[in-house]
Amino acid sequence: MSVANALLEEPRLDTFPRLLLHHARVRGERPATREKDLGIWQTWTWSQQAEEVRALACGLAELGFKRGDHLAIIGDNRPRLYWAMAAAQALGGVPVPLYQDAVAAEMAFVLQDAEIRFAIVEDQEQVDKMLEVMGQCPALSHILYDDTRGLRHYIQTELQSLDEVMEMGRIHDRERPEFLDGEIARGEPGDISVMLYTSGTTGRPKGVCQTHFSFITAAKSGCEFDHLGPQDSILSYLPMAWVGDHLFSYAQATVAGFTINCPESGDTVITDLREIGPTYYFAPPRVFENLLTTVMIRMEDASAVKRGMFEYFMAVARRCGAEILDGKPGVSAIDRLLYGLGNILIYGPLRNVLGMSRIRVAYTAGAAIGPDLFRFYRSIGINLKQLYGSTETCAAVCLQPDGEIKFDSVGKPAPGVEVKIAGNGEVLVRGQMLLREYYKLPADTAEAIDSEGYFHTGDAGFFDEDGHLKIIDRAKDVGKTESGALFAPNYIENKLKFFSFIKEAVAFGQGRPMVCAFINIDMGAVGNWAERRNISYSGYTDLAQKPEVYELIRGCIEKANAELAEDPVLSGSQVHRFLILHKELDPDDDELTRTRKVRRGFVAEKYAVLIAALYSGKASQFIETQVKFEDGRSGMVSAELLIMDARIFPAQKKAA
Amino acid sequence: MQFFFEVLIAGLLSGVMYSLVALGYVLIYKASGVFNFAQGAMVFFAALTAVGLHDLGLSLWLSVPLTMVAMIVLGLATERIVLRPLVAQAEITLFMATIGLTFFIEGLAQAIWGASVRGLELGIADVPLEWLLDVVGMAISQFDLIAAGIAAALVAALAIFFSKTKIGRALRAVADDHQAALSVGIPLHHIWGVVWAVAGFVALVAGLLWGARNGVQFALTFVALKALPVLILGGFTSVPGAIVGGLIIGASEKLAEVYVPSLLQRLFDTQMNLGGIEGWFPYVLALLFLLVRPEGLFGERIIRRI
Amino acid sequence: MDKRIGEVILSFQNISLSFGGVKALTSIGFDVREHEIRAIIGPNGAGKSSMLNVINGVYHPQEGEIVFRGKTRRNMNTYESAKSGIARTFQNIALFKGMSVLDNIMTGRNLKMRSNFLLDAIYWGPAQREEIAHRKKVEEVIDFLEIQHIRKTPVGRLPYGLQKRVELGRALAAEPSILLLDEPMAGMNVEEKQDMCRFILDVNDQLGTTIVLIEHDMGVVMDISDRVVVLDYGKKIADGTPDEVRANQDVIDAYLGVAH
Ligand SMILES: Nc1ncnc2c1ncn2[C@@H]1O[C@H](COP(=O)(O)OP(=O)(O)OP(=O)(O)O)[C@@H](O)[C@H]1O
Ligand SMILES: [Mg+2]
Repeated sequence: MSVANALLEEPRLDTFPRLLLHHARVRGERPATREKDLGIWQTWTWSQQAEEVRALACGLAELGFKRGDHLAIIGDNRPRLYWAMAAAQALGGVPVPLYQDAVAAEMAFVLQDAEIRFAIVEDQEQVDKMLEVMGQCPALSHILYDDTRGLRHYIQTELQSLDEVMEMGRIHDRERPEFLDGEIARGEPGDISVMLYTSGTTGRPKGVCQTHFSFITAAKSGCEFDHLGPQDSILSYLPMAWVGDHLFSYAQATVAGFTINCPESGDTVITDLREIGPTYYFAPPRVFENLLTTVMIRMEDASAVKRGMFEYFMAVARRCGAEILDGKPGVSAIDRLLYGLGNILIYGPLRNVLGMSRIRVAYTAGAAIGPDLFRFYRSIGINLKQLYGSTETCAAVCLQPDGEIKFDSVGKPAPGVEVKIAGNGEVLVRGQMLLREYYKLPADTAEAIDSEGYFHTGDAGFFDEDGHLKIIDRAKDVGKTESGALFAPNYIENKLKFFSFIKEAVAFGQGRPMVCAFINIDMGAVGNWAERRNISYSGYTDLAQKPEVYELIRGCIEKANAELAEDPVLSGSQVHRFLILHKELDPDDDELTRTRKVRRGFVAEKYAVLIAALYSGKASQFIETQVKFEDGRSGMVSAELLIMDARIFPAQKKAA
Repeated sequence: MQFFFEVLIAGLLSGVMYSLVALGYVLIYKASGVFNFAQGAMVFFAALTAVGLHDLGLSLWLSVPLTMVAMIVLGLATERIVLRPLVAQAEITLFMATIGLTFFIEGLAQAIWGASVRGLELGIADVPLEWLLDVVGMAISQFDLIAAGIAAALVAALAIFFSKTKIGRALRAVADDHQAALSVGIPLHHIWGVVWAVAGFVALVAGLLWGARNGVQFALTFVALKALPVLILGGFTSVPGAIVGGLIIGASEKLAEVYVPSLLQRLFDTQMNLGGIEGWFPYVLALLFLLVRPEGLFGERIIRRI
Repeated sequence: MDKRIGEVILSFQNISLSFGGVKALTSIGFDVREHEIRAIIGPNGAGKSSMLNVINGVYHPQEGEIVFRGKTRRNMNTYESAKSGIARTFQNIALFKGMSVLDNIMTGRNLKMRSNFLLDAIYWGPAQREEIAHRKKVEEVIDFLEIQHIRKTPVGRLPYGLQKRVELGRALAAEPSILLLDEPMAGMNVEEKQDMCRFILDVNDQLGTTIVLIEHDMGVVMDISDRVVVLDYGKKIADGTPDEVRANQDVIDAYLGVAH
């Protein structure tokens, strides 16, 4: 029986604060949290962490934070911000983590919607945003900050440093220790434990209310599934507002009692990863993609001998690596030998460079991952798996069991989760990890959860013959072209995005005679490619419009078309015409969500002239667009964009 | 084949000692941009002083430390008396100054200790190691092995000293940018003093080892000249370069000595005696190398702004 | 703003400096008060860098005197000025290119370390402990300047903007009381300039460091400095608050290139 299981069978380990106190009791000296600060990894044990949380909770209580109050938490992954979650929960309040790189105006909405009175923020940058929106958020009365730098001269009475608050809390706790114990005892598993705002691919963000019960259930089932225990450790570097981070770095860590590690800064993640060598890892496909791109760029610059070796052994890995990892039979002795050699010469060093030498389980989720990308990691011996879930389902609907990995499925339903497919292909989910409600939106809640208790995920998919769920696309995005062929834009885009040269793709085809696409090239990969060919360029816009680059991208698209042609259902989705956009799609211009998903509708509207040109058969089109620079100023970018045709392959009949 | 390895190993072992001499040059060149022509004379001076003191009846344990003190004093004095007044002069001026210094030191040594050849007995016999002969059947000199060990230990110690300590960091800083080093309060003269003292110390070790091997005589200064091809190979500013360069020169000159004559004789079909290749081969090698890679194996490519 | 600008700590009278026939500085006189940000501006070749070089003793003026912390002297000396708390950056970055960012900033601690050179080599234990203590201070500087991700990178490989930041770091590691910055923002993009401004203001504000700054970006100079001295062809043509200087006719002429 796993540790997580044993733990939950003890009475009343059914809220996060009680779990925390439990760990402080049974493994008080084991590391709970690490953070790299001033170049050195600092460690807090579970008992120290419990003390810190107590101080923070009592300090908050002194300031008037009460049961049912919402606590905004904004910043990079910092120990104290994680502790703030536990502190709010200990008092019966609800933590509301926000995306830290959102601009003030975006934060204002959530702060108003969640009626935030208390906010705990990381530093001056976030404090400035809070002060900026204070006028719009009259309820906001306490802004507590972790890092005091630059805040010495701020005189606003709402401001206070966490140090002060915790000092206050420590005194309070010393004088009345029974207060906090009482508050923790009053907590119920059915209480709301966290409110996570969905990033809102469409419409405004909605606050998803999850209970202690649902998140603990989801975390527990995941920990059992992969045998996670106190000996494991994870690098916590994804936004705290994302359900994935909440599940892995908070819920699972608190359930299983493993160690979380906070990186020094966003720029040092790779180094920190290498230093910590976590056993458990979680990243959206984008991160895996970027890592691979970096590796590929480095290999292109490497000496011919190195590159030759890399290519040879990667071919070996492609042939048999994934099978060896799954322990499947049927791999020849020679391949096993070669793979062993490759492991010493290439895969091992590569895993080390990626900081993944000690990984036991790695997950990806949040978007579909390119099959080739996925295969790459598995073939070099990293147990990367997919999971499927959403904010509303605690990110825990389907998981790929060890040894049953399919590159194009998201696995089997997690223990205790029921999944069925609706008539229109939509995936429906029922289970204990479902959200209680959308905050203050009963109509939306009723729409999302039907009378039988099934949550409508909005994704289209189907079960294959082995009971694995395959997701094709967002249900509402899946459409038909004019000729009635199935059109799954995300599926096509993901296929294109796997090419290291293509950073972003947007496919169009709904109700149209054919499929066309916008492309964003990957500045790093294409720039490097161009430099090696002595193609000079002055920036993204210039590089994007080079005829050589168009040819390069056309090659990629035709490869994707050839693959699409192999599948009878999807062969109608081949890309006929494409153009390379003159600017990179950017969350600051509202073209992508904060989690970097394309806002298809918005993009289609903004670039309507380009779509018209794609379908009118023109060879080029002029466009001028306003952009926001990183310093907040805005300016215009304009260009005459080339439009190019790609080769279409005849649909192949699949031998059944 | 076995004979080949015997020659190769003997070559590598003497190469380590070349490295040691080359290191003396590199240290000073790196820190102050001076090519110290007098390094060879310092080796000679050190060996002669140690032997001279020993011959006066002092034990080795006493004469070596005394010599060390003398070498450090000599190094510091050189920096103070010769180089400091010449600061900011052209490189060639400084070079000429070190040539003058060479004659001065050589003269001084001989004036004090006389010009006769003296033997130096360190108590390590120059005989093949018995057990190696038994086990692998190769004749490797015990003296060479120990001398190489001492040289390697010194090189390693210096490498640590320069990479880990404050002085080492300061030295690298000075080597990189004088002006900037001054502005952070690194006293240039101290650093130069330290470097000269260290170079003196290195010269002492080299002098003892070479002196014990070939006898302490004026010819020691020529051994120091062997460091030139080493430097050309390794680059004037690179410590690893001095080490690798020394090994290459040591190994190749020994191999050349053994194999080249018979090769040439067969090639030109003569019975001419082609001895003494050891003497000139390293210079030819360096010359060839100079044509291919003038900055040396590890040296920085120098781009002169005009 | 509760910045308490203090007494004059550094002043110059009649400083003249020439290189052969070129008169780089002619009878310059001005002063620097404790805790202030003092800018030196002027067209190219006006003598700004020369003035900075006089302050930390790289150049020795032929005439004039310098009063530093109440002591009058003919000229400064590089080593002594570093020792008495003056740190600087250079117009053309003068970092130790082959060394890592960390080592570069560590050299800034040089004067704070025990002075006995040879003991350092022999006393391994204490020297190591001292090294660790200084390393901690250096880590604070790294954290302050947000350059953790390049800690181990050789400086020569960094882009220009980051090199400037590292150079500032090396100066800060010395915990100077006076910081001389020669065009700290030259060649930077807008965002890098903003960061650099923030660092300069934070240093001045949080550590109370007096700053003498040469900068060509007028917007920045007028924004952050307390007083400005304007040089043109080696002569002082104005001295005062940013507003006063902005209104000064000679300054306007100098910048618009009116013939002399
Ligand atoms: N070491 C030197 N040798 C000879 N002339 C010099 C030296 N240093 C400066 N000068 C001369 O002194 C004058 C002032 O130079 P300085 O570098 O101080 O100007 P600056 O105001 O800093 O200009 P910039 O804005 O270009 O940096 C120039 O005419 C310059 O050529
Ligand atoms: Mg200048």
